[in-house]
Amino acid sequence: MISCQHIHKKYDTIRALHDVSISCGKGEIHGLVGANGAGKTTLFKILLGLVTADSGTVEISGDGAKKIGGIIEKPALYHYLSAHENLRLFSKMQGANASKQAVEASLRQVGLPLDRTDPVRNFSMGMKQRLGIAVALLNNPSCLLLDEPFSGLDPLGIEALNQLIFNLAERNQMAILISSHIIDVLSTVCTNLSIIHDGEIVRTGATSAILAACTKGYTLCGGNIKNASFLTDYNAVTNENCTTISASATEISEIIFKLSQQQIGITSCKPVLDLQQLFNPKQK
Amino acid sequence: MMRLLYIETYKLFRQSRTYYAILALLFIEAIVLLSAYYQGTGIVDIVLANLKDTFYFQGNLINGNLIIYFILNSFWFHVPLLCMIIVSGMLTTEYQEKTLQTVLMQPVVKWKFLLAKYIVASLFTVLLVLLLAITSFVFSYGIFGKGDLVVYTNGLTFFEHDDAFYRLVYAFLFGTLSLVFFSVVSLTLAVMLKESFKTWIVAALFLIVSTLLLKIDLGNDVWNQLAFFKLNNTWQYFFNLNIDWKTITINSALLGLYTLMTMLVGLYLFQKKDIG
Repeated sequence: MISCQHIHKKYDTIRALHDVSISCGKGEIHGLVGANGAGKTTLFKILLGLVTADSGTVEISGDGAKKIGGIIEKPALYHYLSAHENLRLFSKMQGANASKQAVEASLRQVGLPLDRTDPVRNFSMGMKQRLGIAVALLNNPSCLLLDEPFSGLDPLGIEALNQLIFNLAERNQMAILISSHIIDVLSTVCTNLSIIHDGEIVRTGATSAILAACTKGYTLCGGNIKNASFLTDYNAVTNENCTTISASATEISEIIFKLSQQQIGITSCKPVLDLQQLFNPKQK
Repeated sequence: MMRLLYIETYKLFRQSRTYYAILALLFIEAIVLLSAYYQGTGIVDIVLANLKDTFYFQGNLINGNLIIYFILNSFWFHVPLLCMIIVSGMLTTEYQEKTLQTVLMQPVVKWKFLLAKYIVASLFTVLLVLLLAITSFVFSYGIFGKGDLVVYTNGLTFFEHDDAFYRLVYAFLFGTLSLVFFSVVSLTLAVMLKESFKTWIVAALFLIVSTLLLKIDLGNDVWNQLAFFKLNNTWQYFFNLNIDWKTITINSALLGLYTLMTMLVGLYLFQKKDIG
């Protein structure tokens, strides 16, 4: 488990973090959402011990030499070394098992091929992310911090990384804290969310509850959806097979029910978030 | 600590820039050898023109010992500059490529990580000097043969071959201390400045200013003895007729102390600074 209480951090006169408290339990995937410059990376650097907080406490439970692992912004690896060599080097550095078998097990854990012996500078961003996670997981930490892990990844890469994160939380019971501004991805992977704005945690709770509170409408897709005339009552904006409507979380079930009664099949229903409300609820 | 030393050595020798530095060093040496081969006799003739009117010189003055002495003079600027660039890069590239963050997210003691870099940087500097010394002795004696060494310090001084050989060996040995000092300074500058270009510029400036100040009289014997920039030419004392071992020992001890102090400052700053 990882938790921090009342963290404050200033860079000269600029307030980076103000009274930030956050916690993530065993097997939990906790998302930290915020716009660029909100303080996500600073908080992660403090949690990982790279930056010292002006005040506040950080508590990380776990046994073993390494309690926490992570990636900040982009996976930083020795680009002139291969994946095997990077893992061996980082293992040796911390006294972890650096044998061929251990290195191969690490590569397998994150789904990287064992036969790539070229330098990691040739790797795709997705592969680098996976290798970065493999380095973070060396020595079996109980917590994992991933700062913007999805940026630069293609949809397949995002899906694969999502699966890896799920597995780590479920099978290894790791506490995983992820920061991102890609809400779509976080909403599918995180059980809880914290919203950070201007260095302050402005909201914390279950992902579904937070997103529902900030949902201003839905985009419904399906054949013949433009024939559903009653949708005009919800300020519908329609294009071909999809319609975006203004509706609350409680209204949407009723709408879908009505659509099914009219024999209009729905192929997808995506919430449209009020980002201003989500990122900066104080302003509303 | 041994693990960190191994890792730093491994990283150093897996990077192409290390080999570029070694090649650059050998290139400087090759230029000195080629220049001496084609123009050396002419230069010595100009230097000794007046003396040749009065004295009779036997044997060839352009010999291996003189060429080694020429190469040794690269200790003034070229070799320290090369060392400073390579050594500072050991840390600035880690800042730049953010691998330092990845390293310090592992259970690694911050100051021990930097101390390993200081030790490996110092050993690498010694290795460079060793390489320079071995190749210069082999090539110089191989191409130009043996003979008496003539050097100009306060006046012309002649040393017989055997005497010249051991003076040159000692000069390489004590010159290494000065190079290690500059390497340690460049790594400390890297801790402070983080960026490669800034560190290179400041390191070069440090080297230039140190060389300039070497010639300046501080007007006080104590300051002249204690100032670090007055200690970097200690190896030159081996080309005085009588070797002043007392001064050489004191200077070397002081330079060692300055090196240690610079290292401690670097370790303190690194331990104190946030990484990010």
